[in-house]
Amino acid sequence: MDFKKIGEDVIKRAAGYGADEAEAVIENVKEFNVNVRKGEVETLQKSVSKGLGLRVYINKALGFSYTSDLSPESLDETVKKTVDLAKITESKPWQGLPEFGPQPLADLDIYDAEMAAVPDDKKIAIAKEVERIAMAQDKRITNTEGGSFSNTEREAGLFNSKGISYVLRETSCGFSAYVIAGEGDNMQGGGWSSYKRFYKELAPVEDVAKKAAQRAVEMLGAKPVETKKVPVIFDRYAAPSFWMGILFALNGDAVFRKTTFMTEMLEKPIASPLITLNDDATKPRFIGSVPFDGEGNVTRKITVVDKGVLQTFYYDSQTARKAGVKVHTMARRYGYRGGPSAGFLCIIVENGKDDPAALFKDVKEGLLVTGMRGAGTDTTTGAFSVGCSGFWIVDGAKAFPVDGVTLGGTTLEILKAIDMVANDLDLRGGLNSPSFRVAEITVGGKKA
Amino acid sequence: MDILRLNHLMDRRGFLKKGMQTGALVVSYPLWKHFAGKETDALGATEAVGQSALDKDTLRKLLEACLSRGGEFAEVYYERTVTNSLSLDEDKITTATRGLDMGVGFRVIQGEKTGYAFSDDLDFARLKEAAETAALIASGAVQQKPATFTPLSPPSYYLVKVSPDTIASKEKAALLIKGNAVARAFDKRITQVGVGFYDINKRILIANSEGLYAEDTQTLSRFGVNCAALEGTQRSMGYESKSGSFGFEHYDLALAEEFGRKAAEMAIRLLPAEDAPAGEFPIVVAAGYGGIFFHEAIGHSLEGDGIRKKTSCFWDRLGQSIASPVVTLADDGTYKGGWGSVNVDDEGCVGKDTVLIDKGTCAAFIEDKLNAKLMKAKQTGNGRRQSYQFYPIPRMTNTYLHAGESKPEDIIKSIDKGLFISKIGGGNVSPTTGRFVFSVTEGYMIEGGKVAQPLKGIMLMGSGQDVLKNISMVGNDLLIIGGGTCGKDGQSKPVGFGNPTLKVDKITIGGKKA
Repeated sequence: MDFKKIGEDVIKRAAGYGADEAEAVIENVKEFNVNVRKGEVETLQKSVSKGLGLRVYINKALGFSYTSDLSPESLDETVKKTVDLAKITESKPWQGLPEFGPQPLADLDIYDAEMAAVPDDKKIAIAKEVERIAMAQDKRITNTEGGSFSNTEREAGLFNSKGISYVLRETSCGFSAYVIAGEGDNMQGGGWSSYKRFYKELAPVEDVAKKAAQRAVEMLGAKPVETKKVPVIFDRYAAPSFWMGILFALNGDAVFRKTTFMTEMLEKPIASPLITLNDDATKPRFIGSVPFDGEGNVTRKITVVDKGVLQTFYYDSQTARKAGVKVHTMARRYGYRGGPSAGFLCIIVENGKDDPAALFKDVKEGLLVTGMRGAGTDTTTGAFSVGCSGFWIVDGAKAFPVDGVTLGGTTLEILKAIDMVANDLDLRGGLNSPSFRVAEITVGGKKA
Repeated sequence: MDILRLNHLMDRRGFLKKGMQTGALVVSYPLWKHFAGKETDALGATEAVGQSALDKDTLRKLLEACLSRGGEFAEVYYERTVTNSLSLDEDKITTATRGLDMGVGFRVIQGEKTGYAFSDDLDFARLKEAAETAALIASGAVQQKPATFTPLSPPSYYLVKVSPDTIASKEKAALLIKGNAVARAFDKRITQVGVGFYDINKRILIANSEGLYAEDTQTLSRFGVNCAALEGTQRSMGYESKSGSFGFEHYDLALAEEFGRKAAEMAIRLLPAEDAPAGEFPIVVAAGYGGIFFHEAIGHSLEGDGIRKKTSCFWDRLGQSIASPVVTLADDGTYKGGWGSVNVDDEGCVGKDTVLIDKGTCAAFIEDKLNAKLMKAKQTGNGRRQSYQFYPIPRMTNTYLHAGESKPEDIIKSIDKGLFISKIGGGNVSPTTGRFVFSVTEGYMIEGGKVAQPLKGIMLMGSGQDVLKNISMVGNDLLIIGGGTCGKDGQSKPVGFGNPTLKVDKITIGGKKA
């Protein structure tokens, strides 16, 4: 499929039908996905899907549509109808395409040319192997949700009437296992995975299998504890959930509307000086990296929180124009079915100085959080409340597994009470953090 | 809500698909964010395009291709979906969106194995190629021939006289403008108002090798108002919405006015909210939104896939007491106008009303075709899929607790110190442990048998098994609502839910105050 030809033609057609500005995204995704359970293939799925999304502006009023039908007749019809939609909506002075035009793009090396050559049988074998090894780790593992392997090859194009004409090819692949330990009312599931852009960079099957098994077994017998205020350590793999809720509160448009508790916090301390947080989708070969964002802006490393002080909110080009701020805009896009919206691209909280073991050292009684159910932060009020599981710490060591407890507090107070940050960052996805410790949080459990 | 790419740590539900999200794939939004509408002239969408592309002869040929490697069962699923949305924000109609999704999915089953492939290109050669890819799950010679088609004509549970797809956007816009004006005029502390109208018009055709042939037109619509209020540094949100398989005749200016007022009232009511307490409390859950709880905390654990694989905490509990005797829970795909109702499910089984828990006893599970067959159980009309890009899995339709006998006011009076939960925002559960969390968007203290001050930051936490046993009173005021989008195995699907006012003797509340 010639993306450039289709994309540039659609932009021209939009102008022909009366659009002042137009932007098209085209996507073609090849996917392979296998799930095995108890050593047998359970589902095998192969697919190719494609589609186009189009936004147009007439006198700064928006029309948007998408279609999975890329035949010339359907595309012409889509363009015509999108232009009609822009006549239905009302204009706002800040609406429209970004000011920037084409910019030089970095080569982030995110396409694995060798992946296509990996035979399906090999992928199926990995899915079977990771499940088998995980099951064999411990007698207490009684059941399995299975092993899986999947890979995706995606081609995406972004075209607009300001001359942007980008085509991107990217790959990703990965495998996972999820097993169940225990029986009856005492069952615990545990899973682990490895996802990379390059097939050859995947973690060893044994490592993933062992981690999945360990996560199930170590939670057996988990119970709630009584309500009390204690130091809380967030494990590096649970920490991303914690940050997610906080990041939503930094939406520049919500600040403009004064609907977030972060509204007044720009250039003020929002967290302990131990915290530095960047948006950085520029690391070569990394699964969280992309050369351009959902509006065609080049990606850059942006410091969001510097030693605890909030440096910026996040905006796409329209919300930045609306709020009258000059920033490097960041827009996310979820496939071709929707328009761009402001959002961080790849968050990395910087490593601290402490060895992970040091975080436990003077904790007489506390909680290690290894799983969070939800993000915790209410972006409107700043109240923090979340369900979690993990381990009770007694005299600096893990004592027993805990589940069914909640953490409650105020987001800003919790952020400022971070008193240790570990040096154990492990980059895995779009949100990455080292382990850290909060001096005190209310852990809600059994009795009032 | 935009979701940043998370580390791959979630439960297996949603684990696989999410794991693959790299650049930009589909993540579910709150319903309004991207909703839009359509002008009949601009978007005349109900044309029967594609329908002729798959006549019975073509379907038979495709099923033969599916069975070419010896599969036991084959199915073709055709879909053409038009989505419209219109939204108002900051006093103006800002977004009008239209979307078209069209394609065909092929499923081949051999024993416990499923092969799946789809094509969004309706050219016969491409369709055949996809059918042959799905066929590869089996390996051998042809075992089955597709049976002669017998068209199905199920009753209709949809309340659609006037398709929203045929309504000019001006009429939809009038509702948005009314809702906005009423909400803004309600109180000057209302600082933001968003209003949306959304409709989805899905035409499906299912044909399988057993001779099943079913067609359905599924229309869902939704109208809602969101408000934000601000006073000093106190912030709050309010919302009101209606969603179901409703035609446009179910929406008018009086409704828009009512919703604008109710959304604003809620935001203003919650402005003085205080921090929620932490610990174990009795709670009263108001009629309606508590159904989310039954969906998440119990319904998912009763789905046939987890039962068959013995990964659900309820797998061996059929016929046993799993809940207090006041609990009768149903999954009802036949509820008229329900957001989750189906004339036929996505594998052609007619919609059914299934009692899952009968006066406390586990009575049935939620089954699709594959799990029903492997478990030697009956199909319950719960084989559902997000689109032609997915194979069907056991999913709920409208899940609700049957009404009891208590008066709602007596239930509140029975609590000296506890919480009144009015609206629940959302939550999640591990079907393995039954452990859940829910965030509460509107809740109050109960003191001395009376609803007292509003609270913020309430989180409910516990296990489905425990809560089922701790339900001690059920009201006579069942309310079934819609608007939910449930995610499972990377597929999102509209689901309805409901409950009468009820009392849970103790549940863990996560709040700030120890």
